[in-house]
Amino acid sequence: MILIQIFLIVGFLVLLVWLITNPSSYQMRALTKIFAILFFIIAIITVIFPDTTNDIAHWFGVARGADLLLYILTMAFIFGMFSSYIQEKRLQKRIVILARKIAIIETDQRNIDKSK
Amino acid sequence: MVKVCVIVPCYNEEQVVKKVLQDIKAHFKEVICVDDGSSDNSGNEIIKSGATLIEHPINLGAGAAIQTGIDYALQDPDVKLFITIDADGQHNIKDAVAMVEYLQRHNLDIVFGSRFIGNVESIHPIKKMFLKIAALFSTTTTGVKLTDPHIGLRVFNRKFAENLKLSLPDFTHASEVIHRIKEGDYKYDEVPVTVTYSDYSKAKGQPMINAINITVDLLINRITKK
Repeated sequence: MILIQIFLIVGFLVLLVWLITNPSSYQMRALTKIFAILFFIIAIITVIFPDTTNDIAHWFGVARGADLLLYILTMAFIFGMFSSYIQEKRLQKRIVILARKIAIIETDQRNIDKSK
Repeated sequence: MVKVCVIVPCYNEEQVVKKVLQDIKAHFKEVICVDDGSSDNSGNEIIKSGATLIEHPINLGAGAAIQTGIDYALQDPDVKLFITIDADGQHNIKDAVAMVEYLQRHNLDIVFGSRFIGNVESIHPIKKMFLKIAALFSTTTTGVKLTDPHIGLRVFNRKFAENLKLSLPDFTHASEVIHRIKEGDYKYDEVPVTVTYSDYSKAKGQPMINAINITVDLLINRITKK
């Protein structure tokens, strides 16, 4: 198996396991920041030395630098989708709690008004 | 007689909700109707019926509405039994009376209605087949043997209500109830009931494609929960 296949499979598995174990929003935000910083560093390097992507790709066993970029992009995209899905579910739960509280307070208030 | 509280989740049922609630009130004094952010006139109809209105400021889903009703009812320590029933009039409240009696006689934690050991009027054959497959799926995955686990008509005691804590807001809540039974090893049974699908409730029923959402949401919830 060439290096890139191992790299991709391990990458996907690690991501999946980590996402399933329900990371905290701190971890999620920290990882997003690490990704962002890495992205900028790599982006600047590849702009200055365009051929480095090819060299790195060859090292991983990928034919072209553009292909390697596509693989990394795919992984980043899946990570982004999953993390926003988890964030959305978390947000939804908080909204439910909040709305429920409002509803119950309103009803209690109505009961007080009625008994006056 | 013990204090019973009926919880009715309601979403856009202005045409029928008042009559449904009045029928319930004829048998049970405590009726809580949770208006789940309806955009129609359901809220006023609920107030007119004399039931207690709890109004979600936004639409949250049937499961969330039931949980809100339970939270509210639990504030009264005298309430010993809880009934959930749909607001569209597909259930008969007399069945709930029989279920309460059954629960007390057999000392159970929760009693479900079942349209499949009871009667079901003018159900679409595809929907019937679909519900039976869903029941089979539920029984094989949880081991909780019920012929109609997705019915809206249930009676349960305070212990079960306190531990229910529905976290899935939408129609997935029916499966969540079943999981709670399994987790807490509660005593359950089912009683034959009549479900009538009027043209009104048929037009309002959830689309069957929603089963895909329910299944996926349940799986994700079970995996991500610690």
